[in-house]
Amino acid sequence: MARPTKRWGKWLVGGPPLVYLLVFFAAPTLIMVLASFRTPGDFGGLAPLVDSAGKLDLNLDSYARFFTESVYAEIFLKSVGYALLTTLFCLTLAYPLAVLIARAGKQYRNLLLLLVILPFWSNFLIRIYAWMIILGPQAALARGVNGVLAAFGHEPVPLLFSSFAVLVCLVYVHLPFMVLPLYANLEKHDQSLLDAAQDLGANRWQRFWRITFPLSLPGVYAGAALVFIPALGIFAIPDILGGPDDSLIGNVIKQQFLETRDWPFGSVLSIVLTVAALVLAALAAWVGRRNLVTPSSVEASRA
Amino acid sequence: MKRLVPLLLSLVIAAPALAAKDQLHFYNWNNYIAPETVKRFEDLCKCEVVQTYYSDNEELLAKLAAGAKGYDVMVPTSNAVEALIKGGQLMPIDKSKLPNLKNINPIYMNTPFDPGNKYSVPYAMSTTIIGYNDVKIKELGLPTDTWAVVFDPKYLEKIKGRITVLDSANELFAAALKYLGYSANDVDPKHWNEAVAVIKKAKPYWAAFNASSYIKELTVGNIWLVHGYSNDIFQANQDAQAAGRPFHILQGMPKEGAVLAVDNMVIQKGAPRPDLALMFMNYLLEGKNSAELTNLIGSGNPNMEAIKYIKPELLKNPAIFPDKAVEAKLEQLKDLTGPQRRLRSKLWTEIKAGR
Amino acid sequence: MRRRPLGLWLAAAAGYAFLYIPLVIVVVYSFNDSRLNAEWVGFTLGWYDKLFHDDDMLVAAGNSLAIGLVASAVSTVLGTMAGVALYRHPMRLLSGLVLAPIAIPEILMGVSLLIFFVLLNFTLGLVSVALAHITFCIGFVAIVVRARLAGMDEDLIEAARDCGATPWKAFRHITLPLIMPGVIAGALMAFTLSIDDFVITFFTAGAGTVTLPLQIYSMIKIAVTPEVNAVSTLLMLLTLALIIIASRLSPSLFQTDRE
Repeated sequence: MARPTKRWGKWLVGGPPLVYLLVFFAAPTLIMVLASFRTPGDFGGLAPLVDSAGKLDLNLDSYARFFTESVYAEIFLKSVGYALLTTLFCLTLAYPLAVLIARAGKQYRNLLLLLVILPFWSNFLIRIYAWMIILGPQAALARGVNGVLAAFGHEPVPLLFSSFAVLVCLVYVHLPFMVLPLYANLEKHDQSLLDAAQDLGANRWQRFWRITFPLSLPGVYAGAALVFIPALGIFAIPDILGGPDDSLIGNVIKQQFLETRDWPFGSVLSIVLTVAALVLAALAAWVGRRNLVTPSSVEASRA
Repeated sequence: MKRLVPLLLSLVIAAPALAAKDQLHFYNWNNYIAPETVKRFEDLCKCEVVQTYYSDNEELLAKLAAGAKGYDVMVPTSNAVEALIKGGQLMPIDKSKLPNLKNINPIYMNTPFDPGNKYSVPYAMSTTIIGYNDVKIKELGLPTDTWAVVFDPKYLEKIKGRITVLDSANELFAAALKYLGYSANDVDPKHWNEAVAVIKKAKPYWAAFNASSYIKELTVGNIWLVHGYSNDIFQANQDAQAAGRPFHILQGMPKEGAVLAVDNMVIQKGAPRPDLALMFMNYLLEGKNSAELTNLIGSGNPNMEAIKYIKPELLKNPAIFPDKAVEAKLEQLKDLTGPQRRLRSKLWTEIKAGR
Repeated sequence: MRRRPLGLWLAAAAGYAFLYIPLVIVVVYSFNDSRLNAEWVGFTLGWYDKLFHDDDMLVAAGNSLAIGLVASAVSTVLGTMAGVALYRHPMRLLSGLVLAPIAIPEILMGVSLLIFFVLLNFTLGLVSVALAHITFCIGFVAIVVRARLAGMDEDLIEAARDCGATPWKAFRHITLPLIMPGVIAGALMAFTLSIDDFVITFFTAGAGTVTLPLQIYSMIKIAVTPEVNAVSTLLMLLTLALIIIASRLSPSLFQTDRE
């Protein structure tokens, strides 16, 4: 029975965030979307919307530049690669953590969760500097690795100012954003399902792959979204400890707004990035809906 | 928790009302004024100097271009001053309130971008040069008075992975152009392509394009040679000595010349307290006050009165107070036009993308 | 207590180690007797002493904490509402509006918000920064809450409604406790994002507004001394203390419904 309150219940619950985001996100962003069709100002900012002849100054120049100068697409694809790797590594590291916290005794759960996020209340720069110490050429890790490499006659490899350093820090910075959504999902898994499976003879791996992992997929997708999407646009980490080849699309975008003062082109790159991220997220969600393996569907297929 | 949030919220809202004292809003680089200087001014004017910071001219320009207001005094570099003047963002300076202006060396006054100093007054200077670890570089027998050590593979292979360059298209192109014998402000696309070739040839030997953590790495000894700012290199040496390192960080002035950055005091158009701003500027133009910054961070000083207050060892340092011959080779960067900036950006992106 | 497989313990321990080794360096180096953040020289409490006399840094830390609390509180409320709404009635517009702030490069968002505030003649200051932070935090909370709701038992709610509970009561006594771990996770993420944000804060802060990241990033080239380690360590401990106090004062808020 459909209740009449259900329809305007939707607006009651969804209304306030919708209004807030329309005012403080959609409106400002539309200004910059409009900017992508404008001409850059001579010394910065944007040229006037209505030029001296009284005509509206809108054009597709900046978009044309993106599609004709292929270097930007190249860098964009490289960033997608880094973001994908980051997401995968985060998932691998975060899953055991999330499982442990979710299955811990009630009194420990919140504390363990807090312990995951506590390091991230220190300043970002300081944490990256700590990684520079850990990965520096004079520190134990680099010396160890290069010692092993030297034993095989290989040239020493820099750990700092390299893609390796960038990836390690990307994973580090995004890890809690994978742990938390996974935990929130795993926490509600019913232990009795697993007990029943065990009683029916399923071993540990089977219990994980057939029951836990499929049920956790919404958490996996949420974590993946919250890692992949922000990781696409990151620039600070390559700036501080990246090598000469580690420029990502976030760095290029930052450059357009700062040194180049080409806001329209910066807007174009940003829009492409955002649209691509949203499209990829929608694609992943669609794939997820198609392939979702639930225990019930497994039962059905066996019957 | 329920009570904490409203309490904090009310504090946050009440805070502006609590700060009713006279305030001067000073938007400056971090560590670009001695704390004692500020304190004495606050006692003098019975006001509060509210300092906020930026670490790059372009950040300042972007924020002002988007419409930010409320600053009184700012300290942009010359090419940024040029952009601000053209963008109508500055208030003309009432020079009658700046009697100490006569202290500034005339060669730094009356610049092409601000004739008659209508809007800007020189504050401090730095050069973009070479910084190096004296022990390591001596061991390797490398020169430190030429840009070749940054661009020529025959030198670079000895310091592969141990050298960084600035992550700034303007600075790196300027250095490459100087190395090739052109002016740092050369805008001929052919010369730019030559510079790009030089950069791409040297890039495999560089550890990183870095404008933020390179000084730290130099001081620690992970990096042995940098393309960097003279003030930062000076500070790096002070830190290295304080940490008891077995080497010095020295400054190398390339004989082909280098970029000179003159930072200027300006007043934002629509500044809330232009009166305090002018008082502050006049105060900073006094020899004694101006010298405090140089003594603190080793910055160049355009103020003739300040000379008698500056530490003698700094006066002898050719990177801070270059002699006439070197001075002739130093150039201030001019602002580029829109199309030029876009071309440079494209070339820079291609360099960074490893094409 | 169930016996957990050794492999799980080891993997989780590795995860915690990865998280904490840099943090140990951060805390230990706050006692380092060297201006550089690079090598251990000797023990000193001098940086903490310097911190307590550094008004600018303390004000910045206070501002960051205040903005963080306000922004995470508001964005948790709005984000939970969005998450619930999206789960029950998938709205394309809200879905896009929630995800887009996460995707959009921070520089674009910062510049656009600044232009927007200037157009509205809105004075820049702590409030403008908080509003900006809320904008990008809502999405994080919404996504986690929606994921938490996925597969939730709708029958429970229907049953409550059939017994005469109002929608608000059904939400408060059934839905909310069920999604609480998701809400808490979202709130933690929002707070973390807010106190560490630099780019958006840079553009939306007023002429006299300083937050901790703004203060620290401006020191990036040369002056990131152990004083920054000290303020980071203290901020972590303070936040931890605040949360523990809060959980003692209102234990129901942090209760989860399992068991």
